[in-house]
Amino acid sequence: MTAISQTKVQERQAAAARRFNFGSAITWFFIGLLIFITIFPFYWVVRTALNDPTALFTHASELLPYNPTTINFERVLGLVDPAPLIAAGATNISPGTINFWVFLRNSFMFAGVITIGQTLFSSMAAYAFARFKFPFRDVIFFIYLTGLMIPGIVLFIPNYVFIRQIGWIGTFQGMVAPFILMTPFAVFFMRQFFLSLNKDLEEAALLDGSTHFGVFWRISLPLMRGPLMTLALLTFIGSWNEYLWPFLVGRDENLRVLTVALNIFKSQTPQGMPDWTGLMAGTVISIVPTIILFVFFGRRVVDSIQFSGFK
Amino acid sequence: MKRRSSLLVILVVALLLIVTSVSAQDAVTIRYQLWDGNQLPAYQQCADAFTAANPGITVQVEQLGWDDYWTGITTGFISGEAPDVFTNHLAKYPEFVALEQLVDIQPLVERDGVATDIYYPGLADLWTRDGARYGLPKDWDTIAVIYNVALLEAAGVDPAVMDTWTWNLEDGGEFQQVIAQLTIDSNGNNGLSPDFDPTNVAQYGFVPDGMGGAYGQTQWSPFAVSTGWTFNNGVWGDEYYYDDPRFIQTIQWWADLNLVHGFAPSFEEVSSLGASTMFQAGNIAMTMNGSWMIGSFLGSEFEVGFGRLPAGPEGRKSMFNGLADSIWVGTQHLEESWAWVKFLASLECQSIVGQSGVVFPAIPEAATMSLDMRAEAGVDVSAFVEQANEEGGTFLFPIADYAGEISTIMTEAMDAVSLGTARAEDVFPDANDEINDLF
Amino acid sequence: MAVTSVSSRSEAPPPPGFFSRLGNNQALLGILFILPSLIGFTVFFAAPAVRSVFISFQEWNLLTDAEYVGLENYQNILELSFNPLESAAQDSDDVLPDDFDELARVQVGGGGFVIGARDPRFYRSLGVTITYVLFNIPLQTVLALGIAILMEKAANSPLLRGIMILPWLMPNVIVAMLFIWLLDPTLGVINIFLQQTGVGQQGFFGSPDQAIASVAGVNIWRHMGYTAILIFAGLKTIPKSLYEASRVDGANGLVQFLRITLPLLRPVLVFVLVTSVIGSFQIFDTIAVATEGGPAGATRTIIYYIYEQVFERRINMGVATAASVVLFLILVSVTLIQIRTFQGNTSELADYS
Repeated sequence: MTAISQTKVQERQAAAARRFNFGSAITWFFIGLLIFITIFPFYWVVRTALNDPTALFTHASELLPYNPTTINFERVLGLVDPAPLIAAGATNISPGTINFWVFLRNSFMFAGVITIGQTLFSSMAAYAFARFKFPFRDVIFFIYLTGLMIPGIVLFIPNYVFIRQIGWIGTFQGMVAPFILMTPFAVFFMRQFFLSLNKDLEEAALLDGSTHFGVFWRISLPLMRGPLMTLALLTFIGSWNEYLWPFLVGRDENLRVLTVALNIFKSQTPQGMPDWTGLMAGTVISIVPTIILFVFFGRRVVDSIQFSGFK
Repeated sequence: MKRRSSLLVILVVALLLIVTSVSAQDAVTIRYQLWDGNQLPAYQQCADAFTAANPGITVQVEQLGWDDYWTGITTGFISGEAPDVFTNHLAKYPEFVALEQLVDIQPLVERDGVATDIYYPGLADLWTRDGARYGLPKDWDTIAVIYNVALLEAAGVDPAVMDTWTWNLEDGGEFQQVIAQLTIDSNGNNGLSPDFDPTNVAQYGFVPDGMGGAYGQTQWSPFAVSTGWTFNNGVWGDEYYYDDPRFIQTIQWWADLNLVHGFAPSFEEVSSLGASTMFQAGNIAMTMNGSWMIGSFLGSEFEVGFGRLPAGPEGRKSMFNGLADSIWVGTQHLEESWAWVKFLASLECQSIVGQSGVVFPAIPEAATMSLDMRAEAGVDVSAFVEQANEEGGTFLFPIADYAGEISTIMTEAMDAVSLGTARAEDVFPDANDEINDLF
Repeated sequence: MAVTSVSSRSEAPPPPGFFSRLGNNQALLGILFILPSLIGFTVFFAAPAVRSVFISFQEWNLLTDAEYVGLENYQNILELSFNPLESAAQDSDDVLPDDFDELARVQVGGGGFVIGARDPRFYRSLGVTITYVLFNIPLQTVLALGIAILMEKAANSPLLRGIMILPWLMPNVIVAMLFIWLLDPTLGVINIFLQQTGVGQQGFFGSPDQAIASVAGVNIWRHMGYTAILIFAGLKTIPKSLYEASRVDGANGLVQFLRITLPLLRPVLVFVLVTSVIGSFQIFDTIAVATEGGPAGATRTIIYYIYEQVFERRINMGVATAASVVLFLILVSVTLIQIRTFQGNTSELADYS
């Protein structure tokens, strides 16, 4: 580069920096606003959970928990007996508790098994749709896509009847069966990423004599590590939050997942009202595992979505 | 010869079946569902007592909150996974009868000579149709006024007024006067004052429990029925009277408590967290609700009292609603289920429930226990019981077919009136036509 | 462009033989690769869906005997009737045929005509659904795109991404309950804030004019971070070298965004749009918890309508499946239009490679 063009570049950079300062103020304002909007409802969950359960409605507008206490967490986890609280006249205290470690194990098993199966099988299908030529490929893919458009409610009833016919109600396999082999979403997601993956690498490996499966397993999947882990994380959290199906299929306490367990804090009678402090404490308890998971993996996931095929 | 051998086979198989079924009886578990978590301990106690008396039968008591309860029951019918016995509601059971999902227990009642006249009058009959019977009564509920003791005192209102107060269509009677007196704007003027500012209310005198859809159980039904109006042409009616001027005027009066007078919060405000929550926030003087909510109101962060409904032109009227236990047709253990239903409907189990104080059991003696239990705790809930005991003090829940459709049609019409987007006289005649066209 | 080290680990050529031939038969491989998902799809999606289409021609509650009724279920939800009015104020009952109720009224001069439907609630629920989608999708997508770009350009921090996805970690039903609590006109902290700042009390879920927008707002809150992460994943696939090259050419941020970011993001954006539009048409949980279709039917979306047919009626499976078929056809059309419009099947990245 000549000296002249260097100064030009410097000038341009300086101008950009000046613009950036003004722009960055606005940018940071928006980021701050976004964070506030995102966080505030969570703060309110925590604030309600820490509030004195005997003084919730009379102190609804205070920003800090009124008479802060951990009793809601304790009673939800069954560490303290809620009976004295109920007798002392606290509002709508639910006598129920969460059998935390059992439900946590169930949630992990349920979401984990679904995640592994669904991510693997959906990626295989997605790869086939993106790379192989086989009869009716695009037709089958479009039919898969239409699976997204079928209202869940018409699928839910026949599937429940089917699971019952094969005797899987109240079993773990019955809980995971509809999700483990695929969802149209997962196939669609991975296919889009496989499509945007540069073919050169795979073609080179094929020329070197690799099989298609070898290419898929040793080249394409590792290159797709980012999207794959993203999908796995999304699937895990989606399954973690699944509600109606595990509620109806996994009736027993030893199959119950955390999301379903929160039911006992919802209103139990018509005209009734939820046990707000218990519900919010239960919510905190049930989402902490996914938050921890996201903190641990989320960073690696999102950071690893770098397009590895290029430098 | 051939016939004889096949006969023999049938005999042997039948014998085997009998033997196995007898031996299987040792370990029969029946599933029982209810929705109220507060009643779970009492019914678990009943189940234990039942198993003690019938060692061959265990009862698995399952509790699901109201929102999911009916979804679970319906899905259970379809898939064959419904509980053997479940707590049933008057608004739901006609549909289940139409779907042929409930066991007609009348033959069993007759066979075992079960007395159906030990309950509050009318309760057992609510569960019959054309000679068939679909449940035995377990409890009942009536409606009363719930008030904030401190706010009444501050406004100088003696709760004793509720023993005699009246209501009428023209000006809302003493009931509306009291509400007005208890409503205070931000300048400190109450609703009786000519300077009262309805747009700037600091304390409402009354919070209605919403618009109440097709039944208005805890809302307008005490008023509408006290004018002499009836829902329809009797139990299992097929003609509705939602176009009656008395009904229409009552509803408009109910909506106008907010829309015109400003004595009550708007229905927009009531619709999300609900009237009981707003009342519990402590700056509303009175509300109306059912006896199953007693425990919830006692959990308020201040002292509450329970008062009688106002007397309308035809007296004090409360809807008399009752729950019952029904047997699902798909049960594999009909006899055991029936034994459990009989036990649930007996004085023994209802006494256990009565002593818990959570609800009023269907048998009067057991209901008295509930009243006494509350009285011991220093709470007077006699307003509900007096209403039930009063001659002509109650009217029955309007059981009918097509409850779902009726509810949808009426809820939309009620919403429109309550929000002030339509007048009662404009929407209800049409809504009534739509309902009567269903039959 | 350079490739990663993966290819440098060159494989020893496998012996040519049966497995090799099998391994290179694309048709067979394709089928083997999709087989597990095909089984799952057939059993849990296709079979119940096909069965639903059959049920839509029946009157059936899944419990007693089914009765074939031909197109009656479709007629019941779809049939319209146009009737001229003599005067604008004429009662619609005078001109509409039996079984029809007024859906809309069009005034032309002194008269006009009234449109009747056998089931006006079905058409209104379609209208409500479309309103919801129009509130939900544009705002959510634009916000998510903005957040994704912010994440990549200005604040590429894992913490920010973690925070943005938080709402999505909370189960649907709980989110709906939380917002009932937050938005309540008298006790909700948001409304208390609005009153104190002079904006005034808002009805939100309880107001017929605001209910559907409130539901959309809640869902935008829950999904915008999630959508942003998906778009962010797509942004990461765009090679930095392209931006550097265009910067040397003097392109500013906007030009880069229009010339590089948007075209290269297309497959991901199409994915996000297609799936979120489909999801948006099927909004249910928030409504079931927060408004139950009210006030006055203002939030009765099409799925809620179907839900009512099953769980609040005598399990009207025929009507529910017929409505589902109609919704399905609408969604297929909308999706096809989206894919055609954006030609999402090909990525322009291929052109750069």
